[in-house]
Amino acid sequence: MNWKLLVVAILCPSALFFTGCDKDDPVIPNEEELITTLNYILTPQSGGDVITMSFQDLDGDGGTSPTVVGGTLSANETYDGTLELLNESETPAEDITEEIEEEDEEHQFFFQSSISNLSIAYDDEDDDGNPIGLSSTLSTGAAGEGNITITLIHEPTKDGEGVSSGDITNAEGEIDIEVTFPVSVQ
Amino acid sequence: MFSKKVILYFACVLISFNSVAQNCNLTIEGRVLDEAPNTPLSYVNILIQELATGTTTDTNGNFRFDDVCPGHYHMTFSHIGCEGDRIHLDLISDTILNMKLSHTPTSLSTVLIEGKKSNIILQPNLSVNRQAIEDNANHSLSSMLEIEAGVHLIKNGSGISKPIVQGLYGNRLTILNNGIVQSGQQWGNDHSPEIDPFTADKITVVKGTSAIEYGSGNLGSVILVEPKRISNDPHLHGQINYAFETNGRGHNVNARLSKYTPLFAWKINGTVRKYGDRKSANYFLNNIGTEEVSFAIQLEKSLKDRLFLDFYASTFNTRLGILRGSHIGNITDLERTLISEVPFFTEPDFSYGLEAPKQHVSHQLVKGKAKYFLQEDQILELILAGQINNRKEFDVRRSGRSDVPSLNIAQNTFNAELKYTNEFDGKWKLKIGSQNIMTDNTNNPNTGILPLIPDYFSWKTGQYTTLSKTLFSIDWNIGVRYDYELQNVVTISRGIDKEIVRYKNQFHNISSVLSTKYEISNSQSFSWNIGYATRNPAINELYSNGLHQGVSGIEEGDIDLVPEKALKNTLEYKWIPNTNFSFNSLFYHQHFRKYISLIPQDEIRETIRGFFPVFKYEQTDANLYGIDISTQFTISNSFFGMLKYSYLKGINTEDDIPLVFMPPNSFFGSLVYRTNKQIGLSKIKLDASEIEINNRYVFKQNNLLTEQDFVPPPAAYNLVGIKISTNIISSSYKIRCFIKADNLFNIAYRDYLNRQRYFADDIGISFTIGINYKF
Repeated sequence: MNWKLLVVAILCPSALFFTGCDKDDPVIPNEEELITTLNYILTPQSGGDVITMSFQDLDGDGGTSPTVVGGTLSANETYDGTLELLNESETPAEDITEEIEEEDEEHQFFFQSSISNLSIAYDDEDDDGNPIGLSSTLSTGAAGEGNITITLIHEPTKDGEGVSSGDITNAEGEIDIEVTFPVSVQ
Repeated sequence: MFSKKVILYFACVLISFNSVAQNCNLTIEGRVLDEAPNTPLSYVNILIQELATGTTTDTNGNFRFDDVCPGHYHMTFSHIGCEGDRIHLDLISDTILNMKLSHTPTSLSTVLIEGKKSNIILQPNLSVNRQAIEDNANHSLSSMLEIEAGVHLIKNGSGISKPIVQGLYGNRLTILNNGIVQSGQQWGNDHSPEIDPFTADKITVVKGTSAIEYGSGNLGSVILVEPKRISNDPHLHGQINYAFETNGRGHNVNARLSKYTPLFAWKINGTVRKYGDRKSANYFLNNIGTEEVSFAIQLEKSLKDRLFLDFYASTFNTRLGILRGSHIGNITDLERTLISEVPFFTEPDFSYGLEAPKQHVSHQLVKGKAKYFLQEDQILELILAGQINNRKEFDVRRSGRSDVPSLNIAQNTFNAELKYTNEFDGKWKLKIGSQNIMTDNTNNPNTGILPLIPDYFSWKTGQYTTLSKTLFSIDWNIGVRYDYELQNVVTISRGIDKEIVRYKNQFHNISSVLSTKYEISNSQSFSWNIGYATRNPAINELYSNGLHQGVSGIEEGDIDLVPEKALKNTLEYKWIPNTNFSFNSLFYHQHFRKYISLIPQDEIRETIRGFFPVFKYEQTDANLYGIDISTQFTISNSFFGMLKYSYLKGINTEDDIPLVFMPPNSFFGSLVYRTNKQIGLSKIKLDASEIEINNRYVFKQNNLLTEQDFVPPPAAYNLVGIKISTNIISSSYKIRCFIKADNLFNIAYRDYLNRQRYFADDIGISFTIGINYKF
């Protein structure tokens, strides 16, 4: 039938044409928002070596597993703690800490410890007088083993009950960072 | 006492009335007028198909049928040089039909298409008509279909919803907008189809086995969104719909105009919607507002009764908010949210605000169709269409990046289709067609996030043929389809050094269908369909890679997936013993080889943002089966009722565990009281006033194991609704008004298929008031 021929005639050339279509190489997005590294830098107030706990995941969510380095702290010591957030997938590494400082009212870190007598207190505040957690004071008591979990909450309810003293229960918001370090107090 | 009613037709609009009568002594009489000069039309052939009796109009245009039993009838009106018309009549009382036929030599096709069997008629289908669309002016396309048996919705909040038909959704369910396969990111469970339902006159759900004509990928079910042909009316006609919904303070405005001119016929349609925060039974659901603007234009032209040209263009633009409290971080976040009674970020006040997380989606369609009658029974159709879909999804991000989309995909699609139909003088019906779809999918790199699905180019070509014939009083339809798909995919590798990795995939798919329908008697019929279809893995199933923010999980595709195969059987039984009762039951069973689904893995992945569950696309053998039952009955001449029930079960037969995300069983019932008398003054009348009470009961999804979800499925729920409507009719216009209440008792409930159920209750009580003005 003639019409079938017409069908074939129309479609075949287009078929050949389209099979040749290839996609251009995509532009790889610049993951400027990515946080690859969290460093918790602890300086003993009585002098001595600076201890850095770090969580590093250079390739983001997938790929290789993150590298977690905990720390060994001295018993009955007080440390000045500083948090540092980096995007090390870029060279030079980008300091994400600044982004948190700029939006300090919308961010708060929470510190949870499974070690008895180890406590972490806030040492900074935003314009509203609420804590942020980029600077903190860590005090140890007797020797022990356990974990410290550091959580960054985006858009928390900072005036929630107990939130300004570091209790995460009523903080609501959305978790942006949650890392756990093995810690030993000796 | 009989009360005779006048049924007034403007082209094809049907309003049917009911009154007292049970015996076979009814009359149908009426008059046929030529629409344009309003003069009587003589020699119009009128046929009652079911009775196979006919008559012709006299010189005054009058006709009459005597001694007709109550029942459902199809009547055809035809006249030389006229647009014929075919109507459905639910005859209960003596009826007067005043028909208007357009005595203009144009659209031969209406009769030809409507009058003959099309392939899908043999397959079980149900449809939402124009009045239902208007009465649900406050609903999206998907939610208009929800009351139909066997149709459920996957939702994300209230504005985002997509249909699920007999357990099939997303990649497995094809939606045809105006005959064109809807493109876009249809794979996403939180991606609504980008179609304004007001552009349609009819929305049909084909619950079949393999819709051969409608493209590869559909494994049986298809949703057809169709506008009607423009009537050959030389006057300007139009309508305005407005609906206000209290919950969400939503405004819905739609306007439509159409006119036939000797040069061409045109119709335009525009819709604007705006919703703010909704409210559940006990608290506001913030940031789930909607803003939508859409516009469509339809042009038709016929040349010498042989060539019919159609042009259609539409633009659809929407902004959809997502509940802020449902946007969560890691698995700890999910656990924190689950124990919270009220979702995080809940505000005490209403707002129209639309902040991140949200979606901005636009969809443009341009379609041209040429239909040429080689002979009266041979048609050649060419359809060309282009679609541009742009989806932007915004997440809550740091440093002002909430204004930068986290996902930004542009998809351009081009369709070309050629179809040949030959009816061999009505003895056979043969269709041969070829469909070609090119898709170009590109991520915008300005997101600053590695794309969830890669850039790709795909080319699909499908060739099909179907044959219909009545043999031994059984209607037969067979069809075969072959599809070839080529995918050129460009992915970006994960890892420290990002690399571009290319894949080239080729797939061959075969589908076939056999449909039969046997009428045992005038009142009973059986249809049996068997269909085999294959669907190649979609791009997201092969390559998705990354965090799906809304689901708090890492989703990974598998490049080694193979096409899934499905064998589906449906058996439909219809019984309409008399006008007071009808019963329809549809059994279906679908067996899958290599069913693709997202399966939770044992791995919990550690990232700097905490721990995330990992989901991977895996294949398994599966069975899906169920039954949809519906019945309609008349209690008295003013009381009507309807009951619908659907049952569905999905099983992974390889591991003997339930399939996840299957609709729970549901029951719907409604009772309508309708006044049969027109109330009012001489010129303006209130007609067919109705009170409807409806009830929807959704069972708990018990077919699920505890370890298959984060939380157990929500409890069963029951929603009661009420609707009061009336029509104000004068000689020159018609106004329809309605007021309805949904979730009348303000029940706090959660639905298994609503993604928001982990975080918040569904919508509470809501009143809607609507007005529809036609001229």
